[in-house]
Amino acid sequence: MRLTTATSTVVLILLMLVAAPDRGAAETAAIQSSCPTPTEVKGFLTCADVDKAEAEGAVVYYGPDIERQIVAFLQKFNALFPKIDTKQYLREQTGRLYAKLNAERQAGTYLADVLALSDLAPAFDFIKKDGYVPYVSPQMAAYEPRFRSDPPGYYTWYTMVLAGIAYNTDVVSEAEAPKSWKDLLDPKWRGSINFKDSASGLQGAQWFMLRKLYGDQFWKDMAKQQPRALPSTVQQYERLINREDKIIGLAQYSTFLEFKAKGAPIAFVVPTEGLVGTAQFVGVVSKGPHPEAAKLFLDWFLSPLGQEIMSREFYHHSPRPDVAPPPGGKPISELNILFPDWNEYIKAHTQYVRAWNALSGLR
Amino acid sequence: MGARLHMQTVITAGVILVCAGLVLYPLFFLGQVALNTGDPTAWPPDQYGLDNFDGLFHSPGILLNTLHVSALATAMAIVIGFTMAWILARTDVPWRGTLESLMSLPYYVTPLVGALAWSALAAPNSGFLNQVWYAVGGVQPLFNINSPLGIAWVMALFEGSVAFVMISAAMKSMDPALEESSQVLGAGKFETMLRVTLPLVAPAVLGATIFVFAEMLGSFSAAAILGMPERFYVVTTAIWTLVIRFPPDFPLAAAMGISLFGVMLAMMYLYGRIMRATTYVTITGKAFRPRLMQMGWTRWLLFAVCVAYLVVAVFLPMLALLYVSLLKFATIFPKDIIWTLENYQTALNLGPVRSALGTSLLLGLLTATVGVLLMGLLSWIIYRSRTPGRGFLEYIVMFPQSVPRLVFGLGLLLGWVVMPIPVYGTIWLLLLAYLTVFMPLGVRTVSGVMVQLDKSVEECARVCGASWLYQLRTVTMPLLRPGLSAAWVLLFIASVREVGTSVLLVGPRTKVIGPAIISSWESSGLQLTAAMALIQVTIVFAALLVLLRVAGRMARIEGE
Repeated sequence: MRLTTATSTVVLILLMLVAAPDRGAAETAAIQSSCPTPTEVKGFLTCADVDKAEAEGAVVYYGPDIERQIVAFLQKFNALFPKIDTKQYLREQTGRLYAKLNAERQAGTYLADVLALSDLAPAFDFIKKDGYVPYVSPQMAAYEPRFRSDPPGYYTWYTMVLAGIAYNTDVVSEAEAPKSWKDLLDPKWRGSINFKDSASGLQGAQWFMLRKLYGDQFWKDMAKQQPRALPSTVQQYERLINREDKIIGLAQYSTFLEFKAKGAPIAFVVPTEGLVGTAQFVGVVSKGPHPEAAKLFLDWFLSPLGQEIMSREFYHHSPRPDVAPPPGGKPISELNILFPDWNEYIKAHTQYVRAWNALSGLR
Repeated sequence: MGARLHMQTVITAGVILVCAGLVLYPLFFLGQVALNTGDPTAWPPDQYGLDNFDGLFHSPGILLNTLHVSALATAMAIVIGFTMAWILARTDVPWRGTLESLMSLPYYVTPLVGALAWSALAAPNSGFLNQVWYAVGGVQPLFNINSPLGIAWVMALFEGSVAFVMISAAMKSMDPALEESSQVLGAGKFETMLRVTLPLVAPAVLGATIFVFAEMLGSFSAAAILGMPERFYVVTTAIWTLVIRFPPDFPLAAAMGISLFGVMLAMMYLYGRIMRATTYVTITGKAFRPRLMQMGWTRWLLFAVCVAYLVVAVFLPMLALLYVSLLKFATIFPKDIIWTLENYQTALNLGPVRSALGTSLLLGLLTATVGVLLMGLLSWIIYRSRTPGRGFLEYIVMFPQSVPRLVFGLGLLLGWVVMPIPVYGTIWLLLLAYLTVFMPLGVRTVSGVMVQLDKSVEECARVCGASWLYQLRTVTMPLLRPGLSAAWVLLFIASVREVGTSVLLVGPRTKVIGPAIISSWESSGLQLTAAMALIQVTIVFAALLVLLRVAGRMARIEGE
């Protein structure tokens, strides 16, 4: 009998282990959207009242993506819904964007309808301030639990931002290029590595993960390399192509794919430890001036229509399993990605901003 | 009469209150936040102390950087300003008039666009000038525009025009008899310049040096574009970085702002003392005929110097931007070059070009129009009326001159986010900011003409029974028209090219050109930004030409 109990326990554990990957799918299927019967409009499901959304006449997007991508993306939405104007938007790196949004809200000015961020620390802060409208999109069923807020509806991942190392192939040979994150500490790269600045969530994820892997000493040693901290991924790659820098120490994969497709002389390294990853996620902002348009926009954003544009034209990896990887990019399943434990990461966030400012020359 | 005086007193008191409010309200918040040693995001602060200042002086790197780069930039600006002023005011250089009008071009190009262009020209590895140098065998970069010297160079080229204006004004009013005496006594022309002209205009040069130094301390654009990627921060760029972060460090930023403001205030005080203590003994009641030095063949050399300045400050930068804007991605290596017009197409699609340009031009029109009325009234009260408190008003009005614009923007941000009136994030806050920071410029321009007006004309109107407002409208304002229109154009240009104050106050509905260019440079790359900058420089220039033409036509019609 005892044996039977033991055996059944083992079987149960085995069953749980086997079933684990499907657990997400089961939860995914169970999720209830904000309305019982979403309507289909222009090829996607939505809970928004389309007439109301069109009467509101506009949607205002705040996001950290590359500005020309934001404009092109918003124009696609506007092409589907010409009555909803998308010319107002604000593009800043996450930390700046959130600081601005907070200042506006503190002043009683509510301008943003939809907020995209690339760092969970401000998102948690925003939830505490009742900044998001909980809105469970009918698209939510396609997203695994790890790609949405808990409870769902505050924010949902719209891309996975991945970063490795990049180098200029005209200046650095494949043999001498770094193979692992630790290789960035080689003194030969002193003064010729660039990273992002402390307003970047992706930079926060890298700071956190490499500190976890190699301890505080890693970044202390990196400070001796005198790295540059730049305000955007485009500037990082421009400096690489221009030979102002030889190595990008935090090279966004999507930007690499885009520049490579343009013919730039660059190569990408997946470090032996794995790529660093963070989320870009989007939610509807409370007290926004165009609440229905915001919901409609979010549903389109998270639908295969919006996600395919993100992937095909902006080279991002979608969290949706039914959307193909970006042109030239490997599927997520083939990549080893280091994501931070978000709760621990949020606790360390203030320390990260201070440490990174000091490391990048602001003291 | 009693009622009139009453009316005048009420309006004057109102104006004093409004101006004092505009200037002092943001500064009060700045001071309060700088003393906050508790939760950096709390308002009102729960704990006060001097820790923020303490921290600042324990790691003085940023303050030292600021002093270093400002001193270098001032020295260069004064050398350029003096040389150009001497050539154009004291010598018979060919095409003097044309050259003198072209000297204002670098001001229109702006330090921001200048910094972008010089970054393409002289970045250590990829800059065109360094590439030419490497091609002829150079190993180390010839120029490094990202070094403190490089940043100072750009600041001096594009922000130093004030030095030229101040020094050439002094030189024009100088009695040439003194220079002639020197030459009669056997000194050469350049010796005369060094031993007679220079000492004579020394007070003006010293005044200009202090004034320009104060301006440089508060400058932002060149240090942001050229310094930040190279880990080189000055006070203004450090404040900007500290504030637009999550979590923002308002107290440290405010402490930095107050410190910079303190230094600038001391400079402006010194400037005021020097200007008051100096008597321009060369400007006497004795009539003199401004005569130019005959330079012989060397006038062509001087002409070349002027052209060289215009080449490095205008033509070369514009060409560099044009070249960069036609590239698919920024590279100067011939094998990587792919030409395209796509950047112009994309730039025209971007919000900054479409909406920021409109907002900037609208703000320019509003600031100039409201500003001329407000500042005209202020000038009249300060320099014409006998209202008690007008001395205090003059002090208040000139005060923003000593506040770095970005610091003032921070004060406005801190002051208005806690107000229950939702003004932050709207065009009105920017208008309020521009009207305040440009008050010294407007009042000074109008008062220049005001003091030349004979009081008896106004008195005549009053004797004939005109009310104060009627007299202002029918006598004072028409007579002041040249001063008012000059102030209008100056305020328009100053608003359109503004960066420092706006950079912390813009939002999705209130994008303006300067911050939009910075944002594009950060996130969209140099080639797209170059296209944007060129489109904007062209449109602003066209707008200005149209405005000047309209103003000219109006003046002609009135003259007829």
